[in-house]
Amino acid sequence: MDAIRTEHLTKKYKLGWRRGRLLALDKLDLRVREGEVYGLLGPNGSGKSTTLKLILDLVAPTDGAAWIFDVPCEKVVSRLHVGFLPENPDFYRYLTGAETLEFYGRLCGMSGAPLKKRTDELLELVGLPQARDRRLAGYSKGMLQRIGLAQALIHDPKLLLLDEPTAGVDPIGSKDIRNLILRLKKMGKTVLLSSHLLAQVQDVCDRIGVLNLGKMILEGHVEQLISDQRRLSITVQDLPEAGCAKVEEAVRAAGGKLVSVEHPQTTLEALFLEALSKDERGAGEHD
Amino acid sequence: MNAEQGNMTEAAQESVAVAKPEKEWVGFSLQRVGTIAENTFIEAVRQKVYNILIIFALVVIASASFFSQFTFGEQLKFIKDFCLGALSVFGMLIAIVGTALMLPNEVEKRTIYTILAKPVRRFEFLLGKYMGSALLILVSLVLMTAMFGAALVFKEHRLVSDAVQQAGSVPGVDAQHELQQQIQFIRADAYNPDLVKAVLLIFVKLALLSAITLLVSTLSTSMIFNVTVALMIMIAGHLVGTAREMWSGSALARWFLAILPDLGSFNIADDIILGNAIPWAHVGKVVLYGLVYLTCVVAAAHFIFSDREI
Amino acid sequence: MRRTRLLAALVLIVPALLMMPLASRIHSENVRLKYGTTHVTREMRERIGQGMAIALLAGFRGVVADFLWIQNNDYWMRKEWLRLYTGIELVTTLQPLSTLFWDTGAWHMAWNVGYAVTVDPANRTIAEGIKREREWWDKARDFLQRGIENTPNCPDLYFSMGLLYLEKYKDPCKAQEYFHKAVNAKGAPINMNIRMDAVGRLEARAMENCGDIMGAYRRWKQMWYVDHDQVDQLWSVVEREIRRLEDLLNVPDQQRVFPKEQSKPAATS
Repeated sequence: MDAIRTEHLTKKYKLGWRRGRLLALDKLDLRVREGEVYGLLGPNGSGKSTTLKLILDLVAPTDGAAWIFDVPCEKVVSRLHVGFLPENPDFYRYLTGAETLEFYGRLCGMSGAPLKKRTDELLELVGLPQARDRRLAGYSKGMLQRIGLAQALIHDPKLLLLDEPTAGVDPIGSKDIRNLILRLKKMGKTVLLSSHLLAQVQDVCDRIGVLNLGKMILEGHVEQLISDQRRLSITVQDLPEAGCAKVEEAVRAAGGKLVSVEHPQTTLEALFLEALSKDERGAGEHD
Repeated sequence: MNAEQGNMTEAAQESVAVAKPEKEWVGFSLQRVGTIAENTFIEAVRQKVYNILIIFALVVIASASFFSQFTFGEQLKFIKDFCLGALSVFGMLIAIVGTALMLPNEVEKRTIYTILAKPVRRFEFLLGKYMGSALLILVSLVLMTAMFGAALVFKEHRLVSDAVQQAGSVPGVDAQHELQQQIQFIRADAYNPDLVKAVLLIFVKLALLSAITLLVSTLSTSMIFNVTVALMIMIAGHLVGTAREMWSGSALARWFLAILPDLGSFNIADDIILGNAIPWAHVGKVVLYGLVYLTCVVAAAHFIFSDREI
Repeated sequence: MRRTRLLAALVLIVPALLMMPLASRIHSENVRLKYGTTHVTREMRERIGQGMAIALLAGFRGVVADFLWIQNNDYWMRKEWLRLYTGIELVTTLQPLSTLFWDTGAWHMAWNVGYAVTVDPANRTIAEGIKREREWWDKARDFLQRGIENTPNCPDLYFSMGLLYLEKYKDPCKAQEYFHKAVNAKGAPINMNIRMDAVGRLEARAMENCGDIMGAYRRWKQMWYVDHDQVDQLWSVVEREIRRLEDLLNVPDQQRVFPKEQSKPAATS
């Protein structure tokens, strides 16, 4: 079954007095399979947020339709199995972390001891157990993002919609969120996330779709899309200088062409995270 | 044979598995409405909406402490007029401003996205918000009425002791007798149970104003616009009574006036303070009018909100 | 979207129109109760200022009247009689059902201002002072008359009118008329200093001073023949007056309430 299916989904926004209409989404046909992590990419204004809002029935489509697990999305019941994390989430400032989760849980029909247990579990999962009784007014952006994830998961949904889940979050938090998404995938959940932080999306998504000006211009499996099938990357270790020339010869003899010889690079992110954890370990030793 | 049986059982199991997905259903839930209402109330309280009641307390204290150079009857009239008037004004402030903020805040902070992304009907959300507002108004009124009551008790004790002092200077059984009559008068004037009717009607009026503000806020997200329009409707509503008399001839005018809420009919405080007896039958009619009107306004808000783009 | 807006408009208009009979019944009851929904005229607005006019429109008539009344107190202190007079008129126009305002207003006019203008050093002659005093009595009398028309059930204003005639105009006959109305008024007095038994006694005395001694006697008897436990009354005074009048009128013994012979009411004369 498709977790999400849209057919010819179109949205035109009215721009007020005689300024015509803005075509935000143009006949989108999208299928997100159950159990996969799908990344919806595109520049600002390409229609990513609009797509999510249409799926959640926050706005009505001008044309076309959308289904969640084969239930039309105009029906309230379609959201029984969906968790949503909006962009730059904000919550009721005067509630504490635990109160916030309990609020959302009760909206999903949960109550009493099971709700409390679930709240505790989720706070652990997103790494906020120490802030459970602090009012949200005192949370940092990263903490708000985490509590947002927690509320999206409160009723254990099968499908998660995440709008820019790592925007404005520091590298550690961002890594945590990505790990969490992978864990959710292992649990069999479906994730549709929209982002314009491409490097981060690359790590977690199975498939991606690229939107521009409301139209899907590219779609496919990440692996297939980003790997250059013609080229092969072979990593060698402890090869002396002279060995390089021999390798080049061997390649040419086999009918290929040596394109480049350089030291493999790690990513800046990996370097940063490693440096931090080394520092923490060092500090731990000194104590 | 066992293998066959096993296969059939498996096949049977499979067909059951395929037929299984039952239709899930999400009905109207009072728990959801209650959750949203409670949350609305808590937000308002934690945002110190009730600080406004401190000003009310000052008004109560002032009206109870000054004016000692006036007669007993005048002093009690002042307390009742000023306290009920302030109760009405501050109540209206809490009703209109508190409600005007609700939806715009939700949209601005995007909390509405997270709520409506859950299996929550829009109507449950709207009703929950309104109930939260009504609860806020109710609690405010209860607190203010308690303060008003305390002022009356305080004044009654003061006046009685003044009367006792005055009578003390005139000896004789007759003076004592007259003193008893005076004390009876003071008590009856201070503790007029009909004042409860006045507060009840003020509550219904405020609930109605809150509903009207809610309706306006479904049309626009600017708080200033909401408050201004709600205030204008409030003033228009108070003029309906006067306008009815001036334009009693034209049928069209009468129809137009029927659509506006007749807020003047909720002001029986003046009459009760003057000692007029307002029968429960009349109070009941006004409450009924208010509740029906209020329901219609909330229904209208629901229609507009149900397909509002967020 | 247009369908929902139409629905919204319908649900606002149709039930409101259907409620018209209820609304108009409420309105007419209101008019009956309020007895004089005041139109805020321009003169009134100018007199009370913009802020208070808005308060009036918002339904705070009592508060506005109280503010004006407190202002009147200032005028009284500063001896600004004309301002006081128009102030009193204004307050009673705003709350025509307030016995308190009518009563105290009349008291200010007849007793306070009335006295003040007689001792006003600006008077050139004593006669002028008396003439001015008389004018204020007349003002008070007309004012009270309007008050009575607005509050027909209240004994207070009848009583005040009676006192006005008795103490100022020195007209016991007219006074008696009003004391009688006060005693028979349907409501209870607002002013706690009025004792209805005293009003009865005043009525009887006024009758006597007017010349109707028989009527006065009958009135005293009426006061005597009620349940002494239920009714508040200075019984000793009543008894004294009855005895006095019985002597004055030479009532035959067997018809007396208090026969001269302490034996059984005999047929002797």
